[in-house]
Amino acid sequence: MMDAGRHQNLTLLAYSEVEHVTGYIGNFNVKIRKKARYVNEDECTACADCVESCPVSVPDEYQQGFSSRKAIYIQLPQAVPSAYLIDMDNCLGNNPIACGKCKDACEKECIDFDMQDEIIDIEVGAIIVAAGMDVYDPSEMDEFGYRSYENVITSMEFERLICAGGPTEGHFVRPTDYKLPKRISFIQCVGSRSSKNGNKYCSNICCMNTIKDTLLLKDHYPDVQSKVFYIDIRAFGKGFEDLFMRSKESGVQYIRGIPGDVWEDPKTKNLLLSVEDTTIGKVQVHESDLVVLSVGVEPRKDMKKLQHLLTLSNSVDGFLLESHPKLKPVDAPTRGIFYAGCVESPKDIKDSVTQASAAAARASIILNAGKVEIEAITAIIDTDKCNYCGVCARVCPYNAITAPDRKSGVYPTIIQAACAGCGTCASECVQDAITMRHFKDDQIIAQVDAILEENNMDKIVAFACNWCSYAGGDLAGTSRLQYPTNVRLIRTMCSGRVDEKFIIHAFKKGAPLVLLSGCHFADCHYISAVTWTQRRVERLWNKLERLGIRPERLQLEWISAAEGQKFAKVMRELEEMRKKVTDKEVKETMEILAKDEEKAKAKKAKQAAAG
Amino acid sequence: MEDEKLRIGVFVCDCGLNIAGTVDCEAVAKFAETLDDVEAVVRNKYTCADPGQNEIKKAIAEHKLNRVVVASCTPKIHEPTFRQCVADAGLNPYLFEMANLREQCSWVHQDEKEKATEKAKDLVKSAVARSRVLEPQIESEVAVTKAALVIGGGMAGIQAALDLADAGHKVYLVEKEPSIGGIMAALDKTYPTMDCSI
Amino acid sequence: MAEKAKFKCLRCGHEYEDKYTPKVPQERTCPKCLSNSVRRIEEKRKA
Repeated sequence: MMDAGRHQNLTLLAYSEVEHVTGYIGNFNVKIRKKARYVNEDECTACADCVESCPVSVPDEYQQGFSSRKAIYIQLPQAVPSAYLIDMDNCLGNNPIACGKCKDACEKECIDFDMQDEIIDIEVGAIIVAAGMDVYDPSEMDEFGYRSYENVITSMEFERLICAGGPTEGHFVRPTDYKLPKRISFIQCVGSRSSKNGNKYCSNICCMNTIKDTLLLKDHYPDVQSKVFYIDIRAFGKGFEDLFMRSKESGVQYIRGIPGDVWEDPKTKNLLLSVEDTTIGKVQVHESDLVVLSVGVEPRKDMKKLQHLLTLSNSVDGFLLESHPKLKPVDAPTRGIFYAGCVESPKDIKDSVTQASAAAARASIILNAGKVEIEAITAIIDTDKCNYCGVCARVCPYNAITAPDRKSGVYPTIIQAACAGCGTCASECVQDAITMRHFKDDQIIAQVDAILEENNMDKIVAFACNWCSYAGGDLAGTSRLQYPTNVRLIRTMCSGRVDEKFIIHAFKKGAPLVLLSGCHFADCHYISAVTWTQRRVERLWNKLERLGIRPERLQLEWISAAEGQKFAKVMRELEEMRKKVTDKEVKETMEILAKDEEKAKAKKAKQAAAG
Repeated sequence: MEDEKLRIGVFVCDCGLNIAGTVDCEAVAKFAETLDDVEAVVRNKYTCADPGQNEIKKAIAEHKLNRVVVASCTPKIHEPTFRQCVADAGLNPYLFEMANLREQCSWVHQDEKEKATEKAKDLVKSAVARSRVLEPQIESEVAVTKAALVIGGGMAGIQAALDLADAGHKVYLVEKEPSIGGIMAALDKTYPTMDCSI
Repeated sequence: MAEKAKFKCLRCGHEYEDKYTPKVPQERTCPKCLSNSVRRIEEKRKA
């Protein structure tokens, strides 16, 4: 922490928030709000003269509310930057009648009640997101009595109570009588691995944290008896099993079973836990002086705001989605942005440090190179065809397209470095004014034509996105999952590239069945592009129905790169559907679409003549 | 360039027995010869290996190929390999196309050899059709501002910021709270070393 | 905000009711066959 405060290449902006980010890899423009501390950060020596004069007392967040702090305060004694600040929500203000006492107390005159928030604009080439996580708040669940009984605490509260720098100076006591609890019960997986309360995933750190806590207790108070109630103990890291064994050997009891109920003896304030020990299948009641809830880890409450700032998406658990879960676990889907720590998934200190160094190395590659190459699959606009409608700018998941302005004749522009090549703009543009390099309309149509030229009735035309459904197809192959031979895949970068006209063209050329497949919403490699695919398919179903074509002949499926099984299952199901499409039906469709095309042409000609 | 006559080379890979064990690669190669604009068809045991890549380079020079189609495995594995290969031979890497005969044909239709071969032909035909209309592309470059932003001053943010700063880069470390340290600063001792967090 | 709407699976034909928020695309899975080819069927306006 100290190093970060004094490194010459590092500008530390504490008490600051990122407000706005624009730009793209290599060239991000960032607006940061540095909030007013009302204490001059550079001048303050943290002498604490001001503190005594402050008449306001509020619960100290850092000490988990176990002690109080003043309205002028420092978070912790070793804080970096080592400077006080005034919490204006609680300060009485610099009105001579009201207060202003701290100002008089500060000899160095560091206190400035007129200080304003400062807006700082910076330019950077890469961004590392290390915004961290929140700790699960067990108030929402009642079975462990966290809201009702004072002697039920969380593992975060435990940390402060056992810490020499804590409110009790390291004398471990329980909240009701300030006496050392002799019997302590730890309940694992609070807010984790549950479909009822908190989160479904394993929070990764809580088993080891409890093991550590039991050892600390044994160290300080050999007579204290600890019991740990668990589902599984996950001690998988280097040196972890050793610690677990040490804890067991020191006499800590590990009981496999999570208490169904915790209640208080109103006289002694002791707690009673009823638990089924699942190793022997017996329900027992354990009495305890203190209960510690080993709470899990959650995505930050302000995650959505952060995602919006940086155009990032999240995985199903709510943490940030990586570019690839195995091969690019540090990269965000948006180039030039990297992840470190718990913002990506729950992890311990060692893993956080490892990922942080990896993120720094990944960012260094870009910064050292001084330039980045953009794969030539980006969108290009033909302004001769553009009619200023602005759909492209609206649908772009990366904000890579500037909005047009009809009045002043400003066309949309596509920032090449920000474009990721999903093709949603090209598919949504009714004027066909946007071309996707390397995934042009005629290149995709050529594939459709080649597939349907002969034996069209036998074939299923399937569009698959590069990252998920095509990869899911590859996984089916690697796993040797067998399915019928009739499907013909056409790869696009994203399902967002699959234009309405490709599908209509396939039906016009006699396709009995068409599949559009892409990533699950949560996995979409182009943030929100897949939502436009969904809208487009719904539109197409309506159109097909209106024309008298069975909407069932256009199928939609979200298949992830991990779902080889699902891919094979879908292919088997589609083959069954294909067999039921008759020659007559396909011929009718071809006629209907040919007529519809002529009608559209005639309409266009009429408009052109009129215009 | 636009009016240049198309000269497509098709390279059919056996992948040992991975493809050839199910798909009749000879029949696929014969079929490829019948397609319009195809100037050269070469069969390889392993197209991705050096001898296979050399065959591609040789054929590009010999037949003045201006499109290359490799019918082998998934582009997700070897598209970068072959793009580099054709670029080494002087062809724009975007004039290259792949047909996936392994992951999406031979491996998933092991009991239907004839039908798998028919599908393989279709996949080659489709790749050749696409290759005809491919266009050369030039990858653009953008300059990079030599500075980084780290959002969050907890354990991970501090580490990332220090590493970048030590590597000689300008770093801005932004922390929402009045001081850095994050959740870790509120812990007493930390596992597995059981030492102090601050 | 959230209202109910009728959905039909275009794979197995199953029809069911589910939550629906207008203009917010949502990933849908047929509860019967697990397909994503789920279409919202609008109530016919004319009686």
